[in-house]
Amino acid sequence: MEAKIIDSRGAACPGPITDLAKAYRNSKVGDILELWATDKGVRADTQAWATKTGNEILEVKEDPDKIVVRIKINKR
Amino acid sequence: MEMKKVLIIGGGGGGLILANHLDTNEYDVTVVDKSDLHFYQPWFLYIAFKGSKRKISRPIGELLKPGANFVKDEISTINLNERKAYGSRKGIYNYDYLAIATGTVPDPDQIPGLRQVYDEYGDYHTSVWNSEKLWSHISKFKGGTIAIGQSSPTCKCPPSLLEGAFLLEEHLRKVGLRDKTRIVFFTPFPRAYPAEPMNKIVEPMVHERGIEVMPFFDVDTIDDQKKTITSLEGESLKYDLPIVVPPCRGTKMKIIPETVQDEDRFIKADKKLMKIEGFDDAFAIGDCNTLPTSKTGVTAHLEAMAVSEIIQGRYSEFNGRINCPFDTAYGKATFVIADYNNPVAPYPPTKVKHMMKMTMARIYWMTLMGTADPIFEQFFKFTTPEKLNKKYASAE
Repeated sequence: MEAKIIDSRGAACPGPITDLAKAYRNSKVGDILELWATDKGVRADTQAWATKTGNEILEVKEDPDKIVVRIKINKR
Repeated sequence: MEMKKVLIIGGGGGGLILANHLDTNEYDVTVVDKSDLHFYQPWFLYIAFKGSKRKISRPIGELLKPGANFVKDEISTINLNERKAYGSRKGIYNYDYLAIATGTVPDPDQIPGLRQVYDEYGDYHTSVWNSEKLWSHISKFKGGTIAIGQSSPTCKCPPSLLEGAFLLEEHLRKVGLRDKTRIVFFTPFPRAYPAEPMNKIVEPMVHERGIEVMPFFDVDTIDDQKKTITSLEGESLKYDLPIVVPPCRGTKMKIIPETVQDEDRFIKADKKLMKIEGFDDAFAIGDCNTLPTSKTGVTAHLEAMAVSEIIQGRYSEFNGRINCPFDTAYGKATFVIADYNNPVAPYPPTKVKHMMKMTMARIYWMTLMGTADPIFEQFFKFTTPEKLNKKYASAE
């Protein structure tokens, strides 16, 4: 399944969480969201978000130009 | 030689500061707004939580420098390709340079049940009328649970949400109702204040004052019969008095090409030059654009200053500076200061900063005219986020 890209590069905290929350509103169970960010706080914030909402972080990887967080929507 | 025409849509802070910084001997400057009044929006807070009766509006025409024109009209459509704007009352406007500074539009209909709550209780973000409505409920309140917060992550003035909770708590203590009231602050963000360094400063104050925080609470529906707010994340919150800031959207105007707007109708613009995507002669200033910074008066102000320079052929860019006054109640305040390259500094609240916030409210009209520019230049120079972070962040 193709991931839906949420490009939050360049946005400072809480930009990435704002964008993720917006995408979550429009998502459904089974969707894969891929959040791109440059703000370092995104790791801890998305982890806390996933725990709270019951969704799953599949992967966090650091590319040279961005941090990529892949999230599976299990609850909506 | 014919003067170049600069058309500015919106007579808020961004539009007026731009108009007042253009040389009217060189440029034919016109500001168009559907209302002929300008409001000092940060004061909504003090109407809603303190019952302030201060007059916070002035006619837009009186806030413009001599030579700049004001037209009361509602623009329905802008065609960026043809350099034309269509007014619903006075016809077609042509331009050489265009600046859109229309702010945001409240959209309570985005969330089921919010319209009813918004119409009944008002809020502290959208108008004088709504702020007065909220004050009438707060002043009649006898105790119970007050749920206060923003219903969408896209919101103007990030500090104002908590400012509301702090001022509410102070009011309830003053009138002897604090012990009879539970204050619940809900937020879609991971913590009470979204930016971590400022959260470290204010979170202890939130706890000390007994304000409960519900993080990651993104409002999904509101049921005013059952007095319950439910979040996307599946939690629910019972209230006696709801104080809910509605979601907001970008401009209502139709813009051609429509690809310059995002799904919430905010206008895509360059983060340093404010040029609308794909255009060299059209700018979007302040809350109506998609810049990755806070929607606040100071960003509109600084973006407008940069755009005035760019239009007049001088090099300038906006560095993302925010400088949001943050009233922490009981006579103290701080400022949320950052820019594109520097995170928010953990700047502690003091009485002096509260005085500065109150002084700002008094000299606001001068800032629109440009006569307070030297004061701001000095202030910004002494409070760069680099300096503040060096002083306060390294002390931790």
